[in-house]
Amino acid sequence: MDRTGLSRRMVLGMGAAGFVTALPIFSIRSAWAQSQVALQLSWLHSVQFAGSYIALDRGFWSEAGLDVSLLPGGPNAPVEPPVVSGSALVGISAADYTAAAVEQGARFKILAVAMQKNPFVIASLPGNPVNVPGDLEGKRIGMALANTPVLQALSTLNDVDFDAIEIVPTQYSAQPLLSGEVDCLLCWETDLPVAMAIQGVDSVTMLMADHGYALHSQTYIATEESIANRRAELVALLRGEAQGWEAYREDTKAAAALTLEMYPDAGLDLRTQELQAERQVPLMFSELTDANGFGWWTDETVAANIETLALLGRTVTPDLWDRSILEEVHAG
Amino acid sequence: MTVATLAFIDKRSLRPGRGSALLGAVLLVLGWEVLARMLADAFVLAAPSEVLTAIVENRTLLMRALAVTLANGAAGFALGNLAAIALAGIALAFPRSQSIITGLALTVFCLPLVATGPILRVLFGPGPWPQIVLAALAVYYTTLVLLLVGLRATPSSWIDLMRSYGRGSFSTLVHVRAMASLPYLFAGLQIAAPAAFLGAMVGEFTGAERGMGVLTIRAMRDLDVDMTWALATVATAVAIAAYLAIGWVARRVLVADPPVILSPPRPPGWRGGGWHAPINVAVVAVAAVIAWWAALALSGLNPFFAKGPDDVFHALFLADNAGRTRAMLASAMWETAAFLLPGYLAGLLAGAGLAIVVVLFPMLAGAAMPAAIALRSVPIVTTAPLVVLILGRGAIGTIALVALMVFFPTFVACLHGLRQAPGQVLDVMDSYAAGPFQRLLRARLPAMLPAFFAAARMAVPASVLAVTVVEWLATGNGVGSLMALSASLSDYNMLWSAVVLVAALSALGYGGVGLVEARVLRIYAPEQLA
Repeated sequence: MDRTGLSRRMVLGMGAAGFVTALPIFSIRSAWAQSQVALQLSWLHSVQFAGSYIALDRGFWSEAGLDVSLLPGGPNAPVEPPVVSGSALVGISAADYTAAAVEQGARFKILAVAMQKNPFVIASLPGNPVNVPGDLEGKRIGMALANTPVLQALSTLNDVDFDAIEIVPTQYSAQPLLSGEVDCLLCWETDLPVAMAIQGVDSVTMLMADHGYALHSQTYIATEESIANRRAELVALLRGEAQGWEAYREDTKAAAALTLEMYPDAGLDLRTQELQAERQVPLMFSELTDANGFGWWTDETVAANIETLALLGRTVTPDLWDRSILEEVHAG
Repeated sequence: MTVATLAFIDKRSLRPGRGSALLGAVLLVLGWEVLARMLADAFVLAAPSEVLTAIVENRTLLMRALAVTLANGAAGFALGNLAAIALAGIALAFPRSQSIITGLALTVFCLPLVATGPILRVLFGPGPWPQIVLAALAVYYTTLVLLLVGLRATPSSWIDLMRSYGRGSFSTLVHVRAMASLPYLFAGLQIAAPAAFLGAMVGEFTGAERGMGVLTIRAMRDLDVDMTWALATVATAVAIAAYLAIGWVARRVLVADPPVILSPPRPPGWRGGGWHAPINVAVVAVAAVIAWWAALALSGLNPFFAKGPDDVFHALFLADNAGRTRAMLASAMWETAAFLLPGYLAGLLAGAGLAIVVVLFPMLAGAAMPAAIALRSVPIVTTAPLVVLILGRGAIGTIALVALMVFFPTFVACLHGLRQAPGQVLDVMDSYAAGPFQRLLRARLPAMLPAFFAAARMAVPASVLAVTVVEWLATGNGVGSLMALSASLSDYNMLWSAVVLVAALSALGYGGVGLVEARVLRIYAPEQLA
């Protein structure tokens, strides 16, 4: 029976040792006299959110008495649940997702718009380019089937025969375009075309926003309860964002470098991040933001959004947007 | 002994001689290199040399990511297996509860990752806990099933001996049953190791700052083919290492093969026991609904995304658009079934077929095993896009991936089963000069059946996991994609309806295989129906 005892101890010991060594070490926050808020990002850490990193790094938030944690997103991390349940004060979403959530009973408002122009593009290769929506007819487009309404909306806006486009369901990768399985891709201006450029492949991108597809992207959302009860924190959070993104615009290379420095484990490539940071600028800043400040929108841009949303099957009213926080941000 | 046949894979089938195992590994790498050269311009496959370069260049980053994912996976592995041991203990202490415990455990095991991930993230907030819990959820069920079999795999003479010494059932548990279950526990741990790693990786998709899963998404988006394959290679190597290490510990700890257990045949009127009976299905379903309701009430999750049984019922039957919801679910399930069923059957046939070939031509075992272990250990989140890249986005890629997930456990179990044929029977056939095919048909195949059915049952949740992950990450159709889409559009009624349907259908599929199993084994192996 000696052998028996040994084996049992070994098993128990192994389990215990595995458990103890595996327990993650939690970093204990020092007790700041600051209010803690969380900003739920819409994707993994990358230069896509570099304005927030600058705000954090330069203390734009801590000076205002705010201790902000930036929560990364991911393929299985919808933004709405943490914002609804209060574990994040603000989330980064897009007008169509927010409209869908509001339809399902969430009480969200859009507070500010980081991407004035929607980043969706049709990417193609120079030998067989898609320069205008009409070029799509007769082409094979690689995209997620979930985005079919987006392509339909673009076709309607530009009198393109939707049935003449062949949709090939693909995962989110430039590979099908490069291997010739499709003629073009529905993707973001700032990711797959950048990946191709880094691999030495030139591509042609047609920004859908230049062809009537008006949809605010990278929008800041919060619940009506937060807008009513946590106004000061919301103003401080968005003011830091505005300051951070203005600093980003001045030096996108520094922003890319800071991103890599702050998140060394994200597996980011400096050249990719620099190119992405550069390509993001024209989407985020316009005459409108130059005149009124980061994140701004007007009744006209909202009306255009409502029109595009209607094409996507979403019925919304202008009160989905609430500019009062942003007005306070840029007033002081 | 049914499921437990998986327990002894290492002892027999994994040591067919170092020479042929090495040959298998070399062939694998050579085939890989050739394929990569052929597909050089397609941005699909990196050659072993390029992968090695990527690993060396990114070694510190990879080490840090591996440390994080490994720690989370190990914590989940420990928690999940401890939970399995505790559940097995309860089931043994209260035998009447066993069908409810295993039924509930199966139902929870069948919950799709796409749905559980975000909820765990909201429950636990930032940090590693969603990853740990997903890893634990990925392992506890297989261990529980194996342990329950193991705790019963005791010759009745041993228990009689304990009784004749006047010892109670607790002593019997400690001295006889627990010891008898050890080989089964180790088999469970061996199956659990790659599963825990996969669970931790998928957990990172719910919003983590670092880890192998994070790097995998990044590499695929950036078209970094070398890095994608480097990550898959490292993850596979780790999973194989864990698998072999547990096998090594098992050989050290276990002194003898499990005893041969002879049971009298069941009376003809006896029907399959436990959770196969319809009444048990009903009890488990009611218990699952109550547990679901209680969990929601206790966790205080926001009803915007945490839907209860009443919400799902309303969405499916009472709401204005209930007809549309049902139609969408039905068409998505139908689409998924078209991938799932052929893949499942192909995996079963390929596993059993290869096992038969290996028994007929033993030289092949060494060459086949390394490839089989490697294929099984590659985390599906990295293989899914790659297999689809190579085999295309049509049905073939998805079917192949499902088949791959089913193939390995079936192969290992069947190989063990074929070799279980009693020596005396084979001797008799020898003395009548029966050829190898006669021996296969009349002795080995009947001996294989219990193992085959055990594998077929365990493969039901595994194939459902495979198909939904492929649909979610790669092909964008079927119920896997429907779940991901409804989460991103905040259509949580649809998401929860799909979750209920997927979990219920996987559980029923498992039960259905169990029914066929009971019928077949009543004829060929009545002692299995304990």
